[in-house]
Amino acid sequence: MPEIRVTPLGAGQDVGRSCILVSIAGKNVMLDCGMHMGFNDDRRFPDFSYITRNGRLTDFLDCVIISHFHLDHCGALPYFSEMVGYDGPIYMTHPTQAICPILLEDYRKIAVDKKGEANFFTSQMIKDCMKKVVAVHLHQTVQVDDELEIKAYYAGHVLGAAMFQIKVGSESVVYTGDYNMTPDRHLGAAWIDRCRPNLLITESTYATTIRDSKRCRERDFLKKVHEAVERGGKVLIPVFALGRAQELCILLETFWERMNLKAPIYFSTGLTEKANHYYKLFITWTNQKIRKTFVQRNMFEFKHIKAFDRAFADNPGPMVVFATPGMLHAGQSLQIFRKWAGNEKNMVIMPGYCVQGTVGHKILSGQRKLEMEGRQVLEVKMQVEYMSFSAHADAKGIMQLVGQAEPESVLLVHGEAKKMEFLKQKIEQEFRVNCYMPANGETVTLPTSPSIPVGISLGLLKREMAQGLLPDAKKPRLLHGTLIMKDSNFRLVSSEQALKELGLAEHQLRFTCRVHLHDPRKEQETAMRVYSHLKSMLKDHCVQHLPDGSVTVESILIQAAAHSEDPGTKVLLVSWTYQDEELGSYLTSLLKKGLPQAPS
Amino acid sequence: MDPECSQLLPALCAVLADPRQPMADDTCLEKLLDWFKTITEAGSSLLLLQENPCLVELLCHMLKPQDLSSRVLSFSLRLTGVFAAQEDCFQYLQQGELLPRLFGEAGPLGGAAWTAPTVRSGWIQGLRSLARHPSALHFLADCGAVDTIFSLQGDSSLFVASAAGQLLVHILGLSMQGPADGPPSLQAGDWPACAQKIVDHIEESLRSAATPQITQALNVLTTTFGHCHDPWTRVLWVRLSPLVAGLLEKDPVPAAHSLVDLLLSVARPQALRAQAFAVLLQPLACVLKATTQAPGASGMVDGTAGDSVTVDTLLPSKAACVGLLCRTLAHLELLLPLPQRPCPWPQASLLGAAVTLLQLCQGSASPTSDAGRHLCALLLGCVRVQRAALDFLGTLSQGTGPPELVTEVFAVLLEYLRSPDSSPTVLKKAFQATFRWLLSSPKTPGCWDLDPQALLFLRELLPVLQKRLCSPCWEVRDSGLEFLTQMTGRWGGQASFRHALLASEVPKLTEQLLRDPESYVRASAVAATGQLSSQGLCVSPASPEHLGGQQKSPLSELLHILSTDSEGFPRRAAMHVFTQWLRDSHADVVGDTEEFVAGVLQVASQDLDWEVRAQGLELALVFLEQTLGQPGSPCPYAVTPPVVAPARPLAQALQPLCRVRLFEFAFRALFDCDRPVAQKSCDLLLFLRAKTASSSSPQEARISPDVASVEAALQRWQAGDQAQPLGDLEPEVVLAVLRSMDLEGLRGALAESSDHVEKSPQSLLQDMLATVGILGENEADCY
Repeated sequence: MPEIRVTPLGAGQDVGRSCILVSIAGKNVMLDCGMHMGFNDDRRFPDFSYITRNGRLTDFLDCVIISHFHLDHCGALPYFSEMVGYDGPIYMTHPTQAICPILLEDYRKIAVDKKGEANFFTSQMIKDCMKKVVAVHLHQTVQVDDELEIKAYYAGHVLGAAMFQIKVGSESVVYTGDYNMTPDRHLGAAWIDRCRPNLLITESTYATTIRDSKRCRERDFLKKVHEAVERGGKVLIPVFALGRAQELCILLETFWERMNLKAPIYFSTGLTEKANHYYKLFITWTNQKIRKTFVQRNMFEFKHIKAFDRAFADNPGPMVVFATPGMLHAGQSLQIFRKWAGNEKNMVIMPGYCVQGTVGHKILSGQRKLEMEGRQVLEVKMQVEYMSFSAHADAKGIMQLVGQAEPESVLLVHGEAKKMEFLKQKIEQEFRVNCYMPANGETVTLPTSPSIPVGISLGLLKREMAQGLLPDAKKPRLLHGTLIMKDSNFRLVSSEQALKELGLAEHQLRFTCRVHLHDPRKEQETAMRVYSHLKSMLKDHCVQHLPDGSVTVESILIQAAAHSEDPGTKVLLVSWTYQDEELGSYLTSLLKKGLPQAPS
Repeated sequence: MDPECSQLLPALCAVLADPRQPMADDTCLEKLLDWFKTITEAGSSLLLLQENPCLVELLCHMLKPQDLSSRVLSFSLRLTGVFAAQEDCFQYLQQGELLPRLFGEAGPLGGAAWTAPTVRSGWIQGLRSLARHPSALHFLADCGAVDTIFSLQGDSSLFVASAAGQLLVHILGLSMQGPADGPPSLQAGDWPACAQKIVDHIEESLRSAATPQITQALNVLTTTFGHCHDPWTRVLWVRLSPLVAGLLEKDPVPAAHSLVDLLLSVARPQALRAQAFAVLLQPLACVLKATTQAPGASGMVDGTAGDSVTVDTLLPSKAACVGLLCRTLAHLELLLPLPQRPCPWPQASLLGAAVTLLQLCQGSASPTSDAGRHLCALLLGCVRVQRAALDFLGTLSQGTGPPELVTEVFAVLLEYLRSPDSSPTVLKKAFQATFRWLLSSPKTPGCWDLDPQALLFLRELLPVLQKRLCSPCWEVRDSGLEFLTQMTGRWGGQASFRHALLASEVPKLTEQLLRDPESYVRASAVAATGQLSSQGLCVSPASPEHLGGQQKSPLSELLHILSTDSEGFPRRAAMHVFTQWLRDSHADVVGDTEEFVAGVLQVASQDLDWEVRAQGLELALVFLEQTLGQPGSPCPYAVTPPVVAPARPLAQALQPLCRVRLFEFAFRALFDCDRPVAQKSCDLLLFLRAKTASSSSPQEARISPDVASVEAALQRWQAGDQAQPLGDLEPEVVLAVLRSMDLEGLRGALAESSDHVEKSPQSLLQDMLATVGILGENEADCY
C-alpha cells in the first residue's frame, strides 16, 4: 500500500526547532534543519541518528529543503552537512541563500565569543555548506531527480520565506514553514494555489489566537517610543540583524517623518547597509506598495535612521537604537543595555521571544536585579516593554490557507500541544479532513491511493456509449478492455484493437473437466438427459442439443463418452472458454451432483 | 548545593507541583535535571533528599490524581531515576513505596498521562538511570517493568521505542554482571531471572511471524554484541544462533537489514570478511565487465558478474542502480584507510571502476555491449554518482596504480574540470580529487618537484583553472581559488610549477578576484594572494604590461581590503595572511617591519569584527616574540653564540613595540566588549610581564615613572569611555603599568564570563520562578 510518512525530529508539538522528515512514494525529504537557541550543548541540534539506523544520510535522504533563514529553521544546517556528513542537495529560495550564511555566521560569532565553544561549526563549514545549496525561484518547478519535484510559494513572514510543495507522481505534500496571511509594511501575504495535496503540513504558532489589529499594536509601540523620547530617555530595541527589524525601521521612519521628530535613530553599524542591499536585490519579494514606489523612493533608504557607533551610547539626550543580538545575551545590545539600565527615563522594547538564561528573558520575566559577571549586580530601573512583531498566521489565517490549498489531510507542527488540539478539532469539523499533530519522534502514516491516468480509445468509449449509458463521474462502472503499457503510457483499448496494434494472433483458452456419471444407458441418451436437465435448470441461458449429440450452453460444450473400463459409467467431457468461467464451474458442480432420475 | 539554591528550591517545587503554572521554556526542566545530575554525581543523593524534603514532596505529589502537565510528570520520573541510581537513596525511596507507585502499574503507566510520549520516555529514562545496582534489578523484576519495556519497543514514538531497546540491553548487561562464577551454561536455569526473562523474550520474538518483533529482537542483539564482549555474550550467541540461522532459511528473509547488522556485529572471522568484501565489490565488478570489451578483464571478483543478466538484476532501474553504486562507493571509501581492510586490495580494478563510472556519468565512455549501453543510459548526467565516485577516486590516491591507469585518472579529472555540465559541487570534488592525485604522483626520492606526467597534466590544468576562476558561479570561483592556494602552498617553490603558473593568467585573475562581489570569494582570493606573494608568484607591478598602470603591491592591496571591505571574511583572511607573512619574514614585510606592524595594528584595532581584533593581537604576539628574541624552538643544527649577557637593556628592546603602538592596542583590547579579544590581550600582556620580569635588570625594576595619566586612561576605558587616546608611551611607563596591573584577576574574571548568568543554577531557579504568572501576558512566541 503506498503511503506518506511524516516524523518530526523537531517542531512536533513544540516551537523549539523545526526538522521534519517526510517519506513520499519512496523519496525521503528533510524539511528544515533548525537549531534550538535555548541549549548550549548537542541538544540544540536535532538528533539526526534517528533518520537512518544504519547507512549514510546522503544515501537515505533525497534532499533537504529550508523554508526561511531564521535559525530555528536553518541553524543546524552546517552541523548536519559538514559535521554529520550529509552531502546531498539543499534547496532554498535566493534571498534565503543570501541571508542564511550571515545569520549563521552571526550566531557562530556570538557562540564562540560568549562561551568560547570549541565544538561548533566554523566559518569554513558555513561556506562549504552553502556551496551545497541550490537556490530556487518562486513557482518554479525544480526536478530534484527524475521523479521528485519541488515548487516554492510565497510565505510572507520574512524576506525569502517560502512554502514548498513536494511532489512525486500524483502524490504531494505541502510544507508551509512559517507564514503570514496578512501583508505588513514590507512583505506581502502568503499565497498558494488550489494544489490539493495529499497532506498539508502547517505551522500553528498562533493556533488559538485571533491577533488584535496590527494598527493597535503599532500605535501602542510608537506611543511608547515617543513618550520615552519626549521625556529625554533613550530607547533600546534589541533585534536580530535581518528580519523583523526592517518592519520596525519602516514604522519608526514614517512616524518620525510625520511627527517631524529630531531625536536620532541608530542601527548597529554594517547591518543597515547589508539589509538595504538585500532588500534592494530582492525587491520582488517585498509587498506591492514597496515595489511600486521603489523607483521614486526606496523604502529601505532611511532618512532618519543612521549607522550606530559605540561612542554614541554616551551621548546626552534622547535617542533610539536598534542593536543586535535580539535576546540581549551578548555583544552590542547587551553592552548598551548595561549602560542605560540604571536610568528610569530609558526604555528597552523587546520585539520577540527570548530563551531562558538570556538577559532578555530575565527582564521580560520581571527580574530587576541582575547578577552579571564578577558577581556585579545590575539594577534595572529602565522601563521594560514587550511588543511582539513576529509575523505568523493566526487561527483565522491558518484556516484560510487550508481552504486555499484544499488538502486531503492536515498535519500541525511548530506550536504548542494544547493549542494544536483546539485547531485540530476546528479543522476536522470545518473541512471534514483528518488532522494530525505528532509529537517529536512520532510517525504519522497516511495511506495514499496514487491515481494513474489511463487513456481510453475512442472505439471503446463509443461501444460503451452504444449501450446507452453516459459517463458519470459519480457512478463508477466496470469497463472491459485491454490495458497497453507502452513508453510509460497507459491506454485502455478493445481486445480487437490491441491485437491489431500489437500484431498478435488471437488464441482461445478453454478449460476442460471430466465428470463421471453412473448411467448404463447409451452415450446419446445420457447426452439427452443432460440436455433436459440443464434446460430445466438454466432458464435464462441458451441450451442447445447439437446434431452431433453434444450439448452447448453459451460457449460451454458437453459431450458424453463411454468409460473404457466400466460400462455402467459415462464420462462427461465439459469444456468452456475463459469468458464463461463462472458459468463453466457452476455447470460442472451441477453435473457432479448427478442427473435427476429419469421417469422410467 | 549552595545555600542560595537551597532557599529557592521549595518555592520551585511548589510551582512544579501546581498544574495551573505552566513552564515558560521547555529547556528549563532539561537544565534543571542536568543540574541535579551534576549534584548527585558529586555527592550523596540521600543527603540531598534529607536536606531538601521539598524534593520528595514533589515526587509524592506526582502520585495524586490530578491534571498534571505531562512534561513535569516526565521530569519527575527522570529525576526519581537520577536519585535512585545510588543504592542507599534507592532504599530510602523504596521505604516510602515511592518507586513502585511511580514506576509500577499504579503509577502513570495505568493512567491517561501514559498517552503522552514524553511521559513514556520519562518513565524509560528514569528506569535507565536507576538501573545501576542489584536492588534495582530485583525491583524491575518485581514491578513488572520488564514486560512494559518489551511492549514499548514497538512504541509509536521513535524516541521511546529506541530508548526501550537500549534499556533492555542495559538491563541484560547489568544482570549478567552479577554471577561471579564465569559465564552461564546453556541451560536456561543458570541465568539470572531478569536476564532469563529478556532472553526468553528475544527467543520468542525470533520465532514470531511478525517482522517488527523480529526486528526489535535483532536490534537488541546487535546493540548487545556491539557494546559488550564479555564471555557471556558468546554463550548467548551459541544459544540464539540456531534461531537466527532459521531466519535466513525463510523466504523472503524477514527484517533483512537488521539481520545483516547483527551478523556483521557478531561475526569477525576472516572468511566472512572476504565473502562480505566480494559482495561489496559486485556492483563495481558488474560495471567494469559491462564496459570492457575483453571478457574477464575486471579481475575483481570471479563469477558471472557483468553479463547482461547480472546488470539487469543488480542494477535494474535508475533509482536502484544509483542507490547501490553510491552506497558501494561510500562503504569502500570508509574501508580503504582501515588497517583491517581486506587483503589483497584490488586497487587497480577499483581505480578502473571509479574511472569508468565517471566516464559513464559524463557520457565519454562508449561501451559496445548491451549491458554497457544500458548502464550508460542509466548513469548519464547523474550528479549523485559523480559526487560519490570523485570522493572515492580521491581516497584511492593513497595507493598506487599502473601508470596507464593513472594517466586515465588525470584524463577523467581534467574532463570533469573542463566540462560545462559539471555542477559546482561536482567541480569542488574534482578539484579536491585532483589535488590528492597530484600529491600522490610518484616523486624522485629527495625531490619535491612534480613528476613529468603530473607536470604535463599541470600545463593542461592551468587554462582550465583560469576559466573556472571566471565562472559566473561564486561556488566555482571559490573552489578554484582554494585549489590554487593548496597547490601554491605545496609546489610554489618548484621551478617547473612556477614557470607554468607564471606563464598563465591565473595570478592576474586572482588579483582581480580580490574585488569579487561575493565576500567568500574575496576572502579566498586574499588567501591565494597571500600564498602566491609568499612564493613570489604575484603579478609583478614592474612587469611590462603594468607599466603606466597604477598596479598596487599585494601588501597594499590587502591593507586596502583590511581597512575598507564591508564583510568580515576578507578582512579576517587578510589578517591571517599578514600574520603568516610576519612569521615567514616575507620580503615586503622585512623591508620595514615596524611600519608594516604599526599599519596593520592601527587598522585592526578599529575593526568591528572581534575576530579581526583578536587576530591583530595574534600578529602583535608574533612581533613581540620576534622583537624580544623569543627563541621558540631553536634549530638543533644552528650555530648559536653562547649567551653571555642580555644583548641590550629591556627598555631598549621594548622601544620598537612602543613605536608600533602595540601597547595602546593591547591595553585597549583588555576592556574589549568581546571576551575573546580581552582574553587574548590579557594573555599577551601576562606573557610580556613574565618575559620582562625574568630579563629586567634590578635598576630597571626600581624605576618608578609617573603612570598616573596612563592608569587614569585605563580606568576610563574600563568604564566604557574608549575615546581618550593614550599618546606616546615610554617603555619604562609600560613596564611600571604592567607591574601594577592585576592581570591575573582580570583573567579570572574573563574566564568566568557571562556564562555565569546563563549557566548558574541559581540563575536558572530564579528564571523559572520569575516566569510564574507572567506567561499570559507574553504569549509563547518565536521569531
